[in-house]
Order: sequence, then structure tokens, then C-alpha cells
Amino acid sequence: MTTWFRRLWHLINRPRHERELVREMHDHRQAMHDPSTFGDTHRLIEQSRDAWGWNWLDEATQDLVVGMRTLRRSPSFAITATLILAFGIGINVTLLQMMRVGLLRPPAIKNADAWVRFLRSAPDSTTTSVPYPLAEFVRDHNSVLAAVLVESSGSVGWGRDAAQQVGASFVSTNWFNELGYGPLDGRMLTDSLDATTDVPPVVLGYTFWHNRLGAAPNLIGSIAHVDRKPVRIVGIAPAALPGLELDVPDVFIPIRQREYFYPESTLLRDWTNGSVGLYGRLRDGVSADAAREALRQTMKSMAAERPEVKDNEWLEPLLARHNFLRPDERTAVLAVIALLSGLTGLVLVVAAANLGNLVMSRATGRVRELGVRMALGARRGRIVRQLVIESVPLVLLGILGSLAFSRITVALIASAGSLPVYLDLSIDWPTVAAAAALGALALAVVGLLPAWKVAQQHLIDAIKDGGQNVSRALDRTLMRRVMMVAQVAGSCLLLIIAGMTIRSVQRALETSAGFDYQHAAVLSVPLDRQGMRGDAARQYWNAVKERLNAHPEVENAAIVSAAPLGGRIFQTNYKDTPGLETLVQRVDPEYFAALRISLIGGRLFGPTDAKTVILSRRLALAMYGTLDVIGRGFPKSAPDRTIIGMASDAHSIKVEANNVAELYEPLTAEDFSEGVMIVARARHDVDRLPAILRDAAALDPRVIPSAHTIREDFERRMQGPRLTSAIASGIGLLTLALACLGIFGVVSYGVALRTKEIGIRVALGAQQPALLGAIVRQVLTPVGVGVVIGLALAIPAGLVLATEPFYLESTDPVTIAAALAVFGIAAATAALWPAFQMLRRNPVQALRHS
Amino acid sequence: MPKAAGLPPGTLILLILRVLRPGPLHGYAIAQRIRHLSSEQLSVEEGSLYPALQKALANGWLKAEWTKSETGREVRSYRVTAKGVKQLETEQSDYQRMADAIAAIFDAT
Repeated sequence: MTTWFRRLWHLINRPRHERELVREMHDHRQAMHDPSTFGDTHRLIEQSRDAWGWNWLDEATQDLVVGMRTLRRSPSFAITATLILAFGIGINVTLLQMMRVGLLRPPAIKNADAWVRFLRSAPDSTTTSVPYPLAEFVRDHNSVLAAVLVESSGSVGWGRDAAQQVGASFVSTNWFNELGYGPLDGRMLTDSLDATTDVPPVVLGYTFWHNRLGAAPNLIGSIAHVDRKPVRIVGIAPAALPGLELDVPDVFIPIRQREYFYPESTLLRDWTNGSVGLYGRLRDGVSADAAREALRQTMKSMAAERPEVKDNEWLEPLLARHNFLRPDERTAVLAVIALLSGLTGLVLVVAAANLGNLVMSRATGRVRELGVRMALGARRGRIVRQLVIESVPLVLLGILGSLAFSRITVALIASAGSLPVYLDLSIDWPTVAAAAALGALALAVVGLLPAWKVAQQHLIDAIKDGGQNVSRALDRTLMRRVMMVAQVAGSCLLLIIAGMTIRSVQRALETSAGFDYQHAAVLSVPLDRQGMRGDAARQYWNAVKERLNAHPEVENAAIVSAAPLGGRIFQTNYKDTPGLETLVQRVDPEYFAALRISLIGGRLFGPTDAKTVILSRRLALAMYGTLDVIGRGFPKSAPDRTIIGMASDAHSIKVEANNVAELYEPLTAEDFSEGVMIVARARHDVDRLPAILRDAAALDPRVIPSAHTIREDFERRMQGPRLTSAIASGIGLLTLALACLGIFGVVSYGVALRTKEIGIRVALGAQQPALLGAIVRQVLTPVGVGVVIGLALAIPAGLVLATEPFYLESTDPVTIAAALAVFGIAAATAALWPAFQMLRRNPVQALRHS
Repeated sequence: MPKAAGLPPGTLILLILRVLRPGPLHGYAIAQRIRHLSSEQLSVEEGSLYPALQKALANGWLKAEWTKSETGREVRSYRVTAKGVKQLETEQSDYQRMADAIAAIFDAT
């Protein structure tokens, strides 16, 4: 038995052991002639207890009990402190939780470590989707993949008349089996049953079934319609089924059945266009790097057979455990997480510093008690330990509060941000461990630092003068000022960042004033499903446009290669404009009228235009440094086109981005093959427009058109920035409140300590402004230093957040000035309030009492 | 008993281990034996035996168990463990070396 185990055993059985010891000593006394020489039993028992080395535990328990009793006795302090800590720790736990759920945890699929997504790569290009026959070729000609999954998503019409647009995934039938998910009801797709059937089977996504179909029972086996073709609902997917691309589709359809819906579709045979996402499960013992090398051979033999494939192409694997992010995307994501963690960490610093100051102020009220303890022989270490342990219940409450805070906030964010249902938001052990670790850090600031500072003072002297000198000394400690600086700096920084987020949303709203989305709607028709390409597509679209122009409610209609605020983005970075993303839009001349984008100079595209471009104002300025660009070659350093016009800035593609400019080109024949859309403008009522657009599109009875107002896209686009800005403002204001509470506390305390001095100065005729100055002066330096530090940190932090995904407006001096003004007013109020209170109470009175 | 001041620190445990070496004894008997062994010269406040016993128990030098005494009473008797014997021998030789050194100093003068 080791000594430690023996001691532990003793501790567990201590009550029995002590009873036995008492009995033994009692018997001994009984047997003595002169029991008085035995000694004091109580002291002897105490000494016996010492022998086992558990004294510290007893003392700690006592201190803990004292701590809890103190908290119970001052409930307002307990509640304030718990809230402060819960906020400080909770905000960090929330961030961690969100990041783990959304970005850091791999998707919950079977063999998550073995799954990869393949990008089709060549030395100068990368595409995320591959032609379906390529995926089949890879599946049949490799030795490194145990399974291959393909997915092609798009929107389809639901219901007999295809009135409702829903998200569909055309998947390989092994999809569910390979990802490890069985049905919530019915069955999933399987190879044997679903390869060929007369009526294709479909599986419904949980959210679609639950929210849009009202969780209807008895759907299994019934007939539904996808793009007007009957399908059989065979199963409902469970809520936990994750989407590999974050979103879970409304309906899963076997991809082999695609031609049932679109007999003219060439997707299953077409080698030219990328159409499916390709996923593979690595065989046991095969690394992603090994798979890449092995599949080079597969691509080479494919290139030998197919002219569309080049022999220098390869398939680049992205790991499921990295959430299929590319290494550079992953680095960017981790950098943003690190920065956000830094900011939320700052909230904890502010909260802990605030509470630390509060605890120190409270401890000064006890210097006499502590002095007495020291006079009775307690060492400094013992005093420190006592004060630290007394803070433990506070921190424990804070940790519990933080978990509750995080649970609620995460749920709120999930519902406000419409996160998919499969994300598991529940609090798990790593989160609890993180909260405990942060709590321990907070304890160091809230408990250890003040305790150490208090124990350093001449506590025994405090018995004589009632603790006045010690209190003054504590009030003047550097640590107190450092804590003040930390609070001010943190709150300033967070307030400025919050200001930047507000400004970004504002800018997005302002730039959207550069074009008028309010009266426009978009029509899209997936013509390739009907095999309509090239000239057939061009004829179709022109006919639709003509029909629309003839409609009295339609003011303008324009064909475009990508919808404003839509998903498809053509983006180029020109060497002449470093740091500026140029978004390319191929448009009809009517596009500018439809969205009310004004032409500043030059002319619009003519019917025979080719090799001509229209620039946005910003692009002209960035590339040529002047607005006089009409007739010049584009791009500046390697011109192959002519500038014929310049339009006003209208971030109609990426409305929230700040580093973008627009370039317009005339439509080409290829655009009609790859798919175009129509943007139309309503004369009176934009809400009638989608129906009008669908009607016009129905001139070919086979197509399933979809139309919606651009306002819907805009609102959806703004959801993220608005949420970010609301969260940032909330954090900024709460931190400001904390810092003001801190300033208020320090000034009030200073005033209370110096009542006598102030009384004397008033009696000697000091004027109010001078007195106020003297009172507030003690916080001026720490506040000033804090503001400077906060400002110095805010600018680089803002610059890092200036690009995707936040697009912070970080260089706007007005924003920074406004944030500082808000801080200044709040801080001045917090500092002057207690001072005014004091002077109003007539400090001369205080002199008479002492 | 004379005052405990005469006893150098740690000596009490040494004495306890010494008197228990021949065989197990209970507390009162240990006190008596110590008094007897030290010819009543070295003595202690008898109760301070117990903290010393607890310390020896905690260090694993002694084992205690409840037994019946000759008079039929339940008593706790202490027995030296192998570790205790080793401790006693170390302490004894340390003490001897010290005593020899002190004696040498006195002899030299």
C-alpha cells in the first residue's frame, strides 16, 4: 500500500477512525492513575489529524463554505458577478460550439475519415463538378476507392402542376447506404431495387417532409410529381442525415432515372460539362495522397479514350474531416476563427478584469478581519488561498451560467440563421471542458490576482487604523489600473468592430441603391433538361422576351448570363487592379434599364457588338485612374476588347462585398448553351411579376420555369450580415456596459475613500469643477491608455475581417469616431455620476461625523 | 512524568518503534513501556503518544488492529511493519553516528 493510497483510505474512513481514536484515548485516560497528565484530548485529536496531511482540505472546505455563505448573504453581488462571468465565458463557449458544429466537426457520416470529394484539376484550372460519365469511368477503373458517390442538385417543380419549386438531389442509389443512414420511414434508395423501375422512387428530406408537407403520415408508397412526372415516395430521410454541401435537399432522386424526367437531357452522356459532385470512399490503408497518385493513371487512360479529357489532369481529393474545404479555404476559415476567438477572448478579459476589481474592492472591506488572522499567525499564502477559494463558488456559478448562455444563444443563432436541422447543437464534453478551462482562467484574474495583491499589504497594521491605509494603497495599485485599461481597451475594440459591422450592412443597403432591385424579378428555365442548346435556346429566350415586352405590366425585360444576387458568379482578378475582384456579367442592353443602372458615358451594346465591354465606374477608376475611358482597350495591360460605355457602380452580384467592381459584356452564343435567365421590371406591382414571367416561359409546354422577385434574394443575402451585425452590436454594448460599470465602481470607491479629504477641500472653498476634476482624474489615465490600445488593435482586426466572409467596413473614420463617441459619452457618465452624487450630498457633513 | 522538553523531536516515534519491536502492544502499554525503558528519565505528556502513533500509521511503519486484551477488554494493538523496522534501524544508526561524533568531541577536549 503506498503512502498516498493509505492517506486516501484514511480520508474516506475518517469519521470511523476518529471515533476509534477518541475511544482509545478515553480508555487510556481511564487506566491512568493521574489522567490530568494525559494532555488536552481536543488538541491531541487535532494533532493526530495533522499526521495524515489532510488539513489543507479541511481548511479549503471551510473557506468554500465561507465563500458560499458570503455569496448567499449578498445576493445582488452574487447575481451580478454570475451574470458577468456567464457572459464572459459563455460568449467564448458559444463561438467554440458554433465553430465545432459548423466547421470543425466532420460531417456525421459512416467512415467519415475515409471520404473525400474530388475536384477536377489541371495545371491552370480547377472545377468542383465533373461530367457524369467521368465519374462512372473513375468508379469502374480504379483500385483505391471502395465506393463512389455522385450528386447533382438543382431545383425541380413539385406537385401535379409543378407549382412549387423544391431543391432536388439526383444521387447515385448507394448514397444513403454508404453514408450510413437508414430511413425514418419507408426505405432508402438501393442499387438492386432502384436501378430501373417504371415509376422512379424518391426519398424525401426530413425538413421538407416535416415543414412543407406537414409531417404527413402514410406518404410511403404514394405517387407524387416531380417536374410533372409521377414518382413514388419510398422513404423519408431522418433529421440527422447531413448534407455534404451543408444543405439537405428536399427530395432525393436516383440519378440514373434522370432521362425519365428529361428525355432530351444529355447529362448522363455528356463529357463536356461538369454536372455532378464526385465523392469517393478510400479503401482501408489508402491515403488521400496515394489515391490522387493512383487516379492520375485512371485519368490518363480516360484521356486516351476521350478527347474531352487531357492527360495532364488529375483529381484533387478534399477530406471529409476537413469538411471538404480546400487547404487555402481551410486556412482562411481557421484564421477567421482565430480572430473571432481573440475577440470573444477579449470579452472574457473585460468581464474578468471587471469582476476582479469588484472582488478587490470587496476584499478591502475585510482588511481588518484578514489583519486579525495574520496577527494570529496565518501566513500570507494561507490568506491568498482563503480569498481564492472563496471565489470558487462564484466561478462555478459562472461556468454553469455560461453553459446555459451558450445553449440559448446557439439555439437562437440556429433559428435566426436557419441552420440545417441535422447539425447537432447539444453541449458535449469538450465544450464543458472548455468552459471549465476558461473558468479556471477567470478564477486566476477574479480570485488570485486580487488575493495576492491584498495579502501583500501590511494587513496587521490595518487592525489599528481600521484599514484606511491599506484601502488607499489597494486603490492606488498598478493592478487596479491595468484591469481598468484592459476593460476600456477591450470594450473600445469591440465597440469599433460592432460599428464596422453596422456600417457594412448600411453600405450594402446603400450600394443596392446603385440599382433598383425592388421592382425586378428573375425567370430561370433549365433548358438543358429539354436538350435545348445553342440556337434553339436563343430562339426560345428571344420569344419569351418578346412576349414579356408585349405585356402591359412589364416595363423592361433583359436576358442575362447570371441573375443579380444569384448563385452563379463569374469572377476575374485583373493584374491591373490588384485586390479588386471583377465580376463579369453578360447582358442584353435592356439590363441597365431593367435594374435602373445608369450609363455615365458612351453607349450600350448594339446588336452586332462583339469584343466590346462596359465598365463600372469603380473599375474604370481602378484600372485607368480616370473616367475618360471610352474607346480605350480593355484590359489595360493586354487589351483585346474595346470599352464602349461606363455604368454607375451597382454591386448587383455580390451586394455585401466591398472589393468588387462590375464588367458587362454582350451575350454570346455559348451563354445560351450554358443557360441564361431573364430579368424583368414591373411597371406597378412586382409581386405579380413572377406569375407573368412563368406564363411567358410556358410557350414551350415541356419546360418547368421558376421565377421570383429579386427582393427575396436580397433579403436572404442580407440575413447573414444583419445577424452578424446584431450579434456584434449586442456584444459591443454589453461589453461597454461592463466597462462603464467598472469605471463607475472605481470612481465610486475612490470617492468613498476620500470623503474626508473632499469635505476639507469644500470647507476651504474649492470650486465644483476643480473637485470633479480631482475625483475623475484617477480614471483618466487608465481610460486614455485603454482607448489608445483599443483603437490600435481595432484597425488591424478590422482589416483582417475586411474580406470574405464579413466584408467589414474597416477603414471608415466616421465609424471609428462614432464608436469612440459612444464610448466617451458612456464612460464620462459612468465616471461623473458618482462624483456628482458625492458633491450633492455636501461632503462637509461627512467631516462632522468622523 | 517529567516535562517533554527533554525529548528531541522525532525521538518519540523512535521510542515507539523500539518498544513495539519485540511484539504488538496497545497504547497504554506502550506508554508504560517507554516510561520503564527510559528509567523514567525521558518522559512525555502521555497523550502525545497518539499523534505520534497516527504519524507512524500514516507512514506505514505501524499497523493497528482491534484485539481482546488479557482482561477481555477490546483494545487497539499496534505492530511494527517491515517498513517500520527498516525505519527504526536507519534512525538508530543515524543516532549512533551522531552520538559517536558528539562523544568524540567531548573526548578530544
